[in-house]
Amino acid sequence: MDIIPDIIIEAVADPLQYTFMVRALMVSALIGIACPALGAYVVSRGLGFMGDALAHAVLPGMVVAFLVGISPFFGAIPVAIASALLIGYLVSRVGVSEDTAIGILFAGLFALGLAMLTAVRGISVDLESILIGNALGASGGDVIVTLALALFVSAVMLALHKELVFASFDPVGAAVIGLPTRLLDYALLSLLAVVTVIALQAVGIVLVVSMLITPAAAAQTLVRNFTLALPLGSAIGAASAVIGLYVSYHYNLSAGPSMALTATAFFIIAAAWSGIRGRLHRIAAKRRAPAL
Amino acid sequence: MSEQTKYPGGAPPSPARRHPPPLEADGLTVDLGGVRVLDNVSFEAGPGCLMGVVGPNGAGKSTLFNALTGLIPLSGGSAMIHGKPISDARGSVAYVPQSEKVNWRLPLKAREVVMLGRARRMGWLRLPRRADREAVENALNQVGMWERRDSLVSELSGGQRQRVFVARALAQGADVLLLDEAFSGVDPASQEALVAALRDLRDQGRTILLSSHDVNHVAHYCDECLCLNCHVCACGAPRDVLTPDVMREMYGPYGAEPIHGSGRDGHYP
Repeated sequence: MDIIPDIIIEAVADPLQYTFMVRALMVSALIGIACPALGAYVVSRGLGFMGDALAHAVLPGMVVAFLVGISPFFGAIPVAIASALLIGYLVSRVGVSEDTAIGILFAGLFALGLAMLTAVRGISVDLESILIGNALGASGGDVIVTLALALFVSAVMLALHKELVFASFDPVGAAVIGLPTRLLDYALLSLLAVVTVIALQAVGIVLVVSMLITPAAAAQTLVRNFTLALPLGSAIGAASAVIGLYVSYHYNLSAGPSMALTATAFFIIAAAWSGIRGRLHRIAAKRRAPAL
Repeated sequence: MSEQTKYPGGAPPSPARRHPPPLEADGLTVDLGGVRVLDNVSFEAGPGCLMGVVGPNGAGKSTLFNALTGLIPLSGGSAMIHGKPISDARGSVAYVPQSEKVNWRLPLKAREVVMLGRARRMGWLRLPRRADREAVENALNQVGMWERRDSLVSELSGGQRQRVFVARALAQGADVLLLDEAFSGVDPASQEALVAALRDLRDQGRTILLSSHDVNHVAHYCDECLCLNCHVCACGAPRDVLTPDVMREMYGPYGAEPIHGSGRDGHYP
């Protein structure tokens, strides 16, 4: 009868008796699903720095939200979307290069957030939980907001899939057939802003990129097919979040770094496997076509 | 639209013609950053025409393509597709971009790239239907790339990639094809296959405009040659227009490189 050893059942079931762990698992799994789907575009369009910058740039919005006493989501999302659009504006109108525009906004807003944090006294804001996340502190409200935002992002991405792919692959060709490429770019950046903010809850500002890029990159290393890499990235992301959270529970590690490390481990395995597969293919090809 | 309203203030260029040409530029002028890049460019390409645009670097070849496709505003003149402005004729124009304008890091298969040509026809929020899949199959067959439908486009050779993009134009249902730097990154062996595919399309009545920095390509492969150096130096059959005078006008006194196989001797004393 004992197909699964008791010790494993216990290890899996034990944390589930705590409400905070169930909430943390739900929030993290949702983030693990939503982020890599967008991350697929981030990876193939080279927007990694953008994701990282957006995560840092929302700090002032979060501080304001803490001050007013509303959910940090509602402070961070407008700032993230505004930053994403402002970067697009700086590039097209002021004529600075994209990475410069990102750098200026990212450093400026993050500094503003830090200055606000030090200026505000009397309100206890845990800087560490902002920087490396606080999945275990997720409230019931956080679960609902995360679920709603993850569903919204997934719905928009499904609806605009072929248009987003076209505009990302061949922006000029897409514009010629009449797709609103600039609008699509802004839509993608806004979605990126939203998932960056929901990922903050789990992994914090510094590690957002680990949920956004690492699982998506692992998926694209494994399957060289964009449409297939999207769901595979989400699966790897969800697995990283859940496994990482369990590891952090059992070994008493900080949750955010634990999830980020698990995602990194997935990428290393994927990269190693793709290397082995490439070597096997070359050997097989040699066998099929022996040298004359 | 009647002929009268289409050509305000003047008779149509050829009163006997019933249909406006698939592709027509009339006094097309473009200024970029205060510099006149294209000056009063006029030409037309009829149905079943394979026209090549040649000119030195900076002659405005890419700008001409951007202007014809409506990607940049005109300072003067007009660009017409079947007698209509480009904004009303998007479905019938397809653009094959320069290789470096494409994001090859996004892993798409050949048939997925061709399916993108159906995006506009399918409309927003729609999945491919049987008609779309058939159009993709036909298009890939027509350029001889059906066998490679499941290959990643990034792993195809330069010539095969161009044929996949041509298939995308076919799947789109376009009858005017614009290929910017059609032969860049295409090795000589696969140039022939690309040209064969383009000639098939020309024989079916499509209008193809391609640019190349290499005059020899255009002299070899095209029916008509548009010699461009900010203005139109000459336009017509390659062997008629690629004269030493025109070559000097385009490339300067030392630029008149010999044309191989242009079909007539005696051009180059």
